Amino acid sequence: MKERLNSTLQAQPLPASGRIGSGVWYVETLADRDITVDAGGDVRMLIVDGDAAAEINIDVESGAKLSILHVVNHKSAATVNIAIAEVSECRMTQVVCSSSDTRVVASLVGRDARFELGGVFVLTDDNQTSVTADVNHISPDCRSRIMVKGVASGKSHGRFSGLVYVAPDAQRTDSEQTNRNVTIGEGHIETLPQLEIYADDVKCSHGATVGQMDSEAILYMRQRGLSLADAKRLQIEGFVDDIVLHSAVEGVQDILTEMLAEKLSKL
Amino acid sequence: MLKVENLHASVGDKEILKGINLTVKAGEVHAIMGPNGSGKSTLASVLAGNEKFTVTAGSVEFEGEDLLQYNIEERSRKGLFLGFQYPVEIPGVTMANFMKIAVNEQRKARGLEPLTAAEYLRMMKEKSAIVELDSKLTSRAVNEGFSGGEKKKNEIFQMAMLDPKLAILDETDSGLDIDALRIVATGVTRLKREDNATVVITHYQRLLDYIVPDYVHVLYKGRIIYTGDKTLALKLEKEGYDWLINDYKEE
Repeated sequence: MKERLNSTLQAQPLPASGRIGSGVWYVETLADRDITVDAGGDVRMLIVDGDAAAEINIDVESGAKLSILHVVNHKSAATVNIAIAEVSECRMTQVVCSSSDTRVVASLVGRDARFELGGVFVLTDDNQTSVTADVNHISPDCRSRIMVKGVASGKSHGRFSGLVYVAPDAQRTDSEQTNRNVTIGEGHIETLPQLEIYADDVKCSHGATVGQMDSEAILYMRQRGLSLADAKRLQIEGFVDDIVLHSAVEGVQDILTEMLAEKLSKL
Repeated sequence: MLKVENLHASVGDKEILKGINLTVKAGEVHAIMGPNGSGKSTLASVLAGNEKFTVTAGSVEFEGEDLLQYNIEERSRKGLFLGFQYPVEIPGVTMANFMKIAVNEQRKARGLEPLTAAEYLRMMKEKSAIVELDSKLTSRAVNEGFSGGEKKKNEIFQMAMLDPKLAILDETDSGLDIDALRIVATGVTRLKREDNATVVITHYQRLLDYIVPDYVHVLYKGRIIYTGDKTLALKLEKEGYDWLINDYKEE
C-alpha cells in the first residue's frame, strides 16, 4: 500500500525537520516531524501510518499551497498540526480503515488562509476509531471546509469530534463543518460537532447525521437483480467515493478506491 | 407465463389483496386500472417480492415455477421486471456502474458470459436510444437530479437493458407530459415480442392510446372485479368507476 502510493507519486522521504518548497514527500515511518513549507511553495505530502504514535507539525508560510493525503490503515495515533499563514491554502484528504486515533488541528493564522478536509472512515469487525478535526480561525477572512463521512459495521465503534473555534478578531470567517455517518448492524458512531465563536460577523454552519442504509434504494437495486450484498456495497461505495475522487493529492484515486473496496467487502 | 390464483397479501395486519386471480400469457399486454387505494401498487410489489408485504394465501406461478419461493433478486433474475412508480435516487452510484452489475447478473442467471466493456457500451447506447434517454444521464448517479420524465424513461431504459420476460409497470405514466408519455409508451411497444409480456398499471386511459392492451382489468378493494378488452378503458375514462363499483356492491 505505502510502497504503491509512494512509487506512483514518485515521492521522496520527508526529513525529520526542515524546510521544503516543492515536490512530493512521504513520511517514511510515523515519527514526529517539524516541517515548514516555504512561502509561495507548492508541496504534496503523503502520510501513511504505521503502528506508532506521532505528532507532525507543519507551518505553511504565506502564499504557499500544501496538499496532504493521510491514509490510516494501522493501529496508530497520529496528530497533524497545521498552521496556515496568509493567502496560503491547505487541502487534506483522510482515509481511515483501522482502529486508530487520528487528530488534525488546522489553525488559520493569517488573513485569507484556507483549509479544506475531506475525510472518510470505514470501520468493520471490532474496530475502535476516533477521528478529530479541529479548526482554529485566528485571523479574519479565512475559510474552512470540513466534510467527514463515517461507516461502521460489525461491532465497530467510531467517534467523530470536530471543533470550529473562531477567535474574537476572526471576523468574516466562512466555515462549514459536516459529518455524515451510516451505521450497519451493530456498528456504532458517535458524533461531537462543536462551535465556539467569539466574533460577531461570521458565517459558520455545521451539520451531523447518523443514519442507516436507504432500504428503498437497496430494494430498487435488488429488483434489478443485484444481490443484497452487492446492493449494500454499491450504496456505501456511492456514499464514500466522492471523498476519494476529490482527493487532495491526485493520481492515486485507483489505489485508494481499491483499498476502500477491500475494506468494504468486510462490511 | 404468469398465473395468480386467489392471492391474498397483507401489510402488518391489514389485508390489501383479497383474492386476486390473473393469468398472463406470452405476447400479451394487460392493463390494470382501478381507483386509488384499490391495491394496484401492492399487487405489483407483491409479485416483485417486496418483503414489506406478507402473502397470506394463494399462489403465483411464473414460467411453470412457484414464484413465491424466490426473493426479490431471484425473481428479477428469472425475468420479472418492476417499473417503479417512484424510481429511487441513489447518490454516488452511477447508472452505468449499477446497470453493468444488473445486466451481468441477468446474464449469469441465463448461463451467459459477462459482457465486455465494449459490448456493454454499445448496448447502453443502443438501448438508451429506444427511450430517447440522453446518454449523458448514464454517467450520472441513479435518478439523482433526473426530471420526472427522465426518471420514467430511465425505468424503460433499464427494462430494455435487462430484457425481462414479464414487465410490470407501476403507474409509469403518472406525472408525465404528453411527449414523455409518448416516448415511454413507444419504448414499451418496441420492446414487445411474442415471447414476453407486459402488465401496465395505470390510472388514466391516455397511456392506453399508445400501449394497446389485450385485456383491461379493474381492481377494487383488493380483487379484480371486472375484465374487458381495450374498450373498457375508454368506458372507464368517460363514465368513471361508479357503475362498476355499484354493480359489484350489489353482487
